Amino acid sequence: MEALVAVGVPVALVIRLASVAAALGLARHARACRWAALGASTVASLLTGTVALQVIGSGHTIDGVLFRHTASGTVLGYSVTPLSAWFLMVTSLVAVPVALYSAGYFAHAVTTARTAAVGTAFTIMLGAIEVVFVAGGAIEFICAWEVMTLATSALVATEHESRASRRAAYLFLVMSHVGTGCLVAGFLILAAAAGSLSFPAILSGHIVVGPMRDLLFALFFIGFGVKAGLIPFHVWLPEAHPAAPSSVSAFMSAALITAGIYGLFRVCAFGLGTPEVNWALVILAVGALSAILGVLYALSQTDMKRLLAYSTIENSGIIALGLGAAMLALAHGRSTLAAVAVTASLMHVLNHAVFKGLLFLCAGSIVMATATRQIEQFGGLLRQMPWTGVCFLVGAMAISGLPLLNGFPSEWLTFQALLLGFTSTPGLVRLNLPLAAALLALTTGLAAACFVRAFGVTFLALPRTPSAAAAHESPVVMLVPQVCLAVLCGGLGLFPGLVLDALRSVTGSLPGTQPGVEVRSMGFGMPSGLGSFDHVVPALLALALLVGVIGAAALSSRRRAAARRAPTWGCGGELTANAAYTATAFSKPLMMIFRAVYRPTRQVDALAEVSPYFVQQVRYRSENEPIFERYVYGPLVKGVVRAASGMKVLQAGSLHAYLAYVLVLAVILLMWLGGTT
Amino acid sequence: MTLVIQEALMTAGAALLQAVGLLAVAPLLKTVIKKMKARLQNRQGPPLLQGYYDLAKWFGKEAVRSETASWIYVAGPRVYFAAALAATTLVPVVFAAAPLEAAGGILLLVGTLAFGRFALATAALDTGSPFGGMGASRDMTIAALAEPALMLGLFASALAAGSMNLGVLIRTLLQGGIALHPSDMLAFAGLFMIVVAETGRIPVDNPATHLELTMIHEAMVLEYAGPDLALVEWASAVKELLYLTLLAGLFMPVGMATTTAPAALLVGFLAWTGKVFALAIAVTLVESTNAKLRLFRVPELVAISLGLAFLALAIRFL
Repeated sequence: MEALVAVGVPVALVIRLASVAAALGLARHARACRWAALGASTVASLLTGTVALQVIGSGHTIDGVLFRHTASGTVLGYSVTPLSAWFLMVTSLVAVPVALYSAGYFAHAVTTARTAAVGTAFTIMLGAIEVVFVAGGAIEFICAWEVMTLATSALVATEHESRASRRAAYLFLVMSHVGTGCLVAGFLILAAAAGSLSFPAILSGHIVVGPMRDLLFALFFIGFGVKAGLIPFHVWLPEAHPAAPSSVSAFMSAALITAGIYGLFRVCAFGLGTPEVNWALVILAVGALSAILGVLYALSQTDMKRLLAYSTIENSGIIALGLGAAMLALAHGRSTLAAVAVTASLMHVLNHAVFKGLLFLCAGSIVMATATRQIEQFGGLLRQMPWTGVCFLVGAMAISGLPLLNGFPSEWLTFQALLLGFTSTPGLVRLNLPLAAALLALTTGLAAACFVRAFGVTFLALPRTPSAAAAHESPVVMLVPQVCLAVLCGGLGLFPGLVLDALRSVTGSLPGTQPGVEVRSMGFGMPSGLGSFDHVVPALLALALLVGVIGAAALSSRRRAAARRAPTWGCGGELTANAAYTATAFSKPLMMIFRAVYRPTRQVDALAEVSPYFVQQVRYRSENEPIFERYVYGPLVKGVVRAASGMKVLQAGSLHAYLAYVLVLAVILLMWLGGTT
Repeated sequence: MTLVIQEALMTAGAALLQAVGLLAVAPLLKTVIKKMKARLQNRQGPPLLQGYYDLAKWFGKEAVRSETASWIYVAGPRVYFAAALAATTLVPVVFAAAPLEAAGGILLLVGTLAFGRFALATAALDTGSPFGGMGASRDMTIAALAEPALMLGLFASALAAGSMNLGVLIRTLLQGGIALHPSDMLAFAGLFMIVVAETGRIPVDNPATHLELTMIHEAMVLEYAGPDLALVEWASAVKELLYLTLLAGLFMPVGMATTTAPAALLVGFLAWTGKVFALAIAVTLVESTNAKLRLFRVPELVAISLGLAFLALAIRFL
């Protein structure tokens, strides 16, 4: 076992490479190909998950070599630090159910001709993200990062006949490469200053000083912020996540965005030396903006998968709020507070992965059963899909931050971090923290509204279309992963103390943080804060709620007659599905209240044939203005295009001109270099 | 070991006692407010025990449920009721400690109430009637908007006392003696508005209306009948009593019992009754002298409350 853990990471990679070869070889046999890719993927994920758990448990880093070329002296190494292990563990936790689910899902959703391509890309993506987390140096990191991006964009473009999919993949590639460009620049600056490319050397802190440090922060923040889907770098996310096959969307939303979060942790918060107060404020502001705008945009969506994608942006924002509080604490040297905030943030990484993975898998089942993603065309699905319905309900309650489920403990801990930050940091700056807490409260409330809407309109009342009425439950191979994740939502929510204890070694391994008694489990619950600031034991509340439900049942149990069934009153007519409240109507009040954010345009056409007083048909169209696309990226793209067409003058297509450029450049370089030596 | 079990039993007993006690009193509070409102309008109003008569009547009837509804519709009122009941054990009432203080503080209380709201709003969408959806949409909208103001108001009090745990918080306030800080006034004003909004009173919602265009809470539970309706109405009454108790405890903790001596408990009980009655008068006056706001004016009210809470926080610490 010990020996296996020591070489777990390379072995998992080898398994993945072998499975890629096998899947390509079996391309003509869809079933065998699926199992070759996904089965091997599951085994490899279990292996890396074991390694991660081992590191988290012991707190000791596992180092090793992935590739060595003696002649050129190239050594590519890996290093599973406790922080890497946490992200590796979260990824494995999602990857295993997603792979199992995909085995059933791809059979229906992916054509035989594409099975090999999708399975291969999926496996490569999983392998690449694992290497991203365990990379021992900048070279490994950037290579794996790029492979991850390419594999993901291939998956996004799975249905490349559709223009929307191609556009989503293109947007994803462009945004990712802007981010990667920033990362490469940042790592090169660090490497030049440190004289090495290995992470322990370049991320030891204070390699560079002064304004250069701020520049580095900005570069890494943009680079990782794109991947994490933080607003304003989020534009690709709501296009790319829904375009991929649903199980891949689940993995992208649950695990892939954590690659960006990992980078923010590893480099921005703990790799560039003690963070500045201003950096912390930037992260806090972007986190609060992402949380609130993410949930507001989610509320306005009628496409189930886009809704979930926007909600991913929201949760990424909540994670960033915790990280921002941690950086503020680090900047002021408050090591125990930093530990609380880091714990909050990392706990939400785990919890979000579990419930968002669950919700996307449920969405995949719904889409498969009804062949549409439009919420308005579902309705009454709880009758046909009871298991998926219950799983979606659990996920919806978890993401709404309700106690007993796993969204609550991490949001609770984030509140603790923000409020404790307010009481224990100096200066006026701290007033931002309770404001951030208020925005977090608003986000939670809006998320609850958003998911009451998503669950209610999808699963309750009457089916709105024939396809919804004819929907049927998914096969067992797709239900089991959903149920497992739903159980995990409950388990992590009822016993958050276990997660807290697991995170102690991770938090303790980071420079500048010191996990005190604030982050140690208390029974099954969590204490937090200095002195007796607050604690929470959800299991106790679960008992109280259970007693309450039993009491209610006892009070309302009728000895004489069972409940009578009667049709719902249809306001005088027969009740049809058209009478039920739609998703658009449900979020209408909030859309009107926040119209400054949505900037909606609406168009109502009353079509009449004979006289305008006898309207035959009313057409209603409403659209929200895409603010970031129009006002941020629009001018940016225009500027780039204009600069490019300006540069066309240089690229005239004449070989003589190009040779002249080379000559001129060589002369200038020689003069410049000659001048320095 | 026996000591632990004994303590657990004591806690469970106290929690049960408090829950049952608040359940017993809650219908009275609703009727008292109705009665006072009627007297202000020169009407007689219902008899003081009307709340109990209504509950008895509903519990005696059969439940009529929609043919289109699923198990969610049945679970909604029960979970809502259980959440209200669980919430009662998290708030100190007569004694300066909540029975289930070990479970958590302010954030857990807010979360528990949100749990009940989520269940009821979801269930409201189950019958396919447009009213349920309308009510659920409006209720969730107002709750979402009220949440930051409620939290910030509670934070202002909690941060001043240095604890988010209601029991610790109130005991700290009691030790400090009566010293009203200006920030308390602001926080109280902010929270009072939120309590009005959360309990569905004028100017946010009208508990007496059955006009579909103006209803919020009533629209949400329009389809319920019999025992299901009884559970919803009872739980709403408990929630209202709970909010008033919370306000009384946070801003006027004087008189709460700190020992289990019978005399102290009696004083605590009388003080609690008096304070809740005073707040009930305030609610009645607000309800009698204001008109109901348009739904889209409610955000302004909530924004004022949020501003007050933030000011409370700012002047306390700067």
